[in-house]
Amino acid sequence: MRKEVTRLALLATMWATTSVYAADGVTTGPHGEKPTPAASVTLTAAEETQIKDGKFTAALVWHEMSEYTNAVNNGAQDEFKRLGIEVVAQTDAGFDAARQKADVETVLAKNPSIIVSLPVDPATAAVVYDPARTAGTKLAFVDNSPAGYVHGKDYVTIVSDDLFQMGNKAAIAMAHALGNKGKIGYIYHDADFYVTNQRDGAFKATIGQDYPDMQIVAEAGMADPARSEEIAQGMITQNPDLDGIYVTWAEPALSVLSSLRGAGNTHTKIVTLDLNEPAALDMVKGGNVAALVADEAYNIGVTVARAAAGSLVGKSSQPFLVVDSLAVTKDTVADGWKKSLNKDVPATIADALK
Amino acid sequence: MPSANTAASGRPNGFANRINLQQYVVYFGFLAIFLFFAIVLRDSGFLTVRNLSNIVLQTAPATIMAIGLVFVMSAGEIDLSIGSTVAVSALAAAVTMNDYGLVAGVLAGLGAGLLVGLLNGALVAYVKLPSFLVTLATLGLFAGVSRSMTDLRSIPVTNGTFTGFFGSGAFLGIPSLIWWTAIAVAIGHLIYRETRFGAHVLAVGDNSRAAGVSGISVPRIRLTVLMISGGLAGLAGLLYAGRLQAAKYTLGETDLMTVIAAVIVGGTLLNGGKGSIIGALVGSLMMGMLNNGLILMGLSVSDQMIVRGLIILAAVAVSLREKSR
Repeated sequence: MRKEVTRLALLATMWATTSVYAADGVTTGPHGEKPTPAASVTLTAAEETQIKDGKFTAALVWHEMSEYTNAVNNGAQDEFKRLGIEVVAQTDAGFDAARQKADVETVLAKNPSIIVSLPVDPATAAVVYDPARTAGTKLAFVDNSPAGYVHGKDYVTIVSDDLFQMGNKAAIAMAHALGNKGKIGYIYHDADFYVTNQRDGAFKATIGQDYPDMQIVAEAGMADPARSEEIAQGMITQNPDLDGIYVTWAEPALSVLSSLRGAGNTHTKIVTLDLNEPAALDMVKGGNVAALVADEAYNIGVTVARAAAGSLVGKSSQPFLVVDSLAVTKDTVADGWKKSLNKDVPATIADALK
Repeated sequence: MPSANTAASGRPNGFANRINLQQYVVYFGFLAIFLFFAIVLRDSGFLTVRNLSNIVLQTAPATIMAIGLVFVMSAGEIDLSIGSTVAVSALAAAVTMNDYGLVAGVLAGLGAGLLVGLLNGALVAYVKLPSFLVTLATLGLFAGVSRSMTDLRSIPVTNGTFTGFFGSGAFLGIPSLIWWTAIAVAIGHLIYRETRFGAHVLAVGDNSRAAGVSGISVPRIRLTVLMISGGLAGLAGLLYAGRLQAAKYTLGETDLMTVIAAVIVGGTLLNGGKGSIIGALVGSLMMGMLNNGLILMGLSVSDQMIVRGLIILAAVAVSLREKSR
């Protein structure tokens, strides 16, 4: 009973945070902002010179380090370097809001002109960033901004994925892999986290609206990626005839993959989000993985750095900037890697493609 | 304990000198790291009063947890559950405070910590289970409890009196977190060094059978040290909630290893019989200073982790060599 109440409460939360896109099919910002393409952020030659002459500095205060954060981090570092802005510190909060607060306090000792950050817990993040705001540091965010902060006054912009597009492209890729019909398992992120909630919701909504011959017959929430193998086992045991499984992101998808392999299942297709080498290798070798939907993570870093730099010379940015996403399949894996992470496809995959 | 005898006899040989050095390794280490950062980061804001006070404020919850762990480890036990006790206490305090007010919230937070300690203590002292396994289990158990308590949501703490008293306020111009640290260290040190209870804890850790024969109630000591640890982890939870003006299930998750390292570097033996509250304080500050200085040096996150790991390894190696019985 309690579990049921919990589920309903969670669904209500998800609905509340994701209801807008369902009506019009676009990503909205965490506070209902309309999306603007990241390509709209540009600097004139004069502005770039002014920035270079300013001898500005920046600190990167991350929520946690992952392949995704690395790509964003590299994009921001490269753009700051191009603009003559020195990156004086970078931190990793290990998804702990208390540590992120300590990190902000620590980097402020170097008086950075800019802090680029992804808030661990947006609902309570105002306390985390207040010392920087008070110090007059320009704040530019990835994915979300602290509740109560006002765009243009307290922070420069939010740069994110086109979250609806990602979930939507995952659904289309799934339909393509299954020939537009079949039974689907749906493993979503069971937490109040705006990014994953929107992507998961968009997948589900697209299947429901656009593919009448495809049904989501099994759903499971995953709160802790370390537990995803058990969740996958349970789903596969109860529904051995699934044609496809959507997994909220790549790391837990590997657990699903290992469960399918363990069960000798070569039939069920996996579609998941984010590029991941083992998953991509399985895809290239014709395994269970059918598609990986990736955002242009490197471009998120470039955009957030450019917008923040522009704000130092009085240039304002739109409140919610989004980069494109792409569905990567066996045929497009090399291009996809370059577009998403600004890196060549890993050697193992390049070899398997030969 | 041959090492203690050798040191006590004061024989002027190299071995005794090394023992003395080992006893103070945390202070030398602290000083060395401080001087290193002070020189390397002289233009990078490390030495500003604000940055140095930040280090003390940021380490306050870990220091408070470390005090509890000194008692537990001195008695020859371990408490791994502190990592999740912090979150349970902070959430219990936040939820209760929003419904029933300040006093109830504080009592709920501390009470939750004490209850975890009571459960650990009862299982270790009376069911005779090893504390490593009991607290490893309760670490996971209460991590689950803290997640389910509020469905992974963070709970805002809006009571200004609470946040001032436990986190962001100041008294006589000194931040409340520094007061808490000072008071906890002073009381902890006094109990550890000057009371019969403190002596009994060390006796149990040194040789529990001998302690039992000499009339000390070994189970009662084990129960009490684990309750002290639980209660102090609860207090750490309140401090986090006050500082962050919110409680979340992730609070304290990353602290366990830092706290254990701080306690061991601070001169407390992993298998009991010897320890130091002041050493744990300095150990905790050293950990905080390392985090702070490595960030200010502008190292990448991976490099920070590697350097931090190597320095802790070196410090633990020096402080543990020859100490184990």
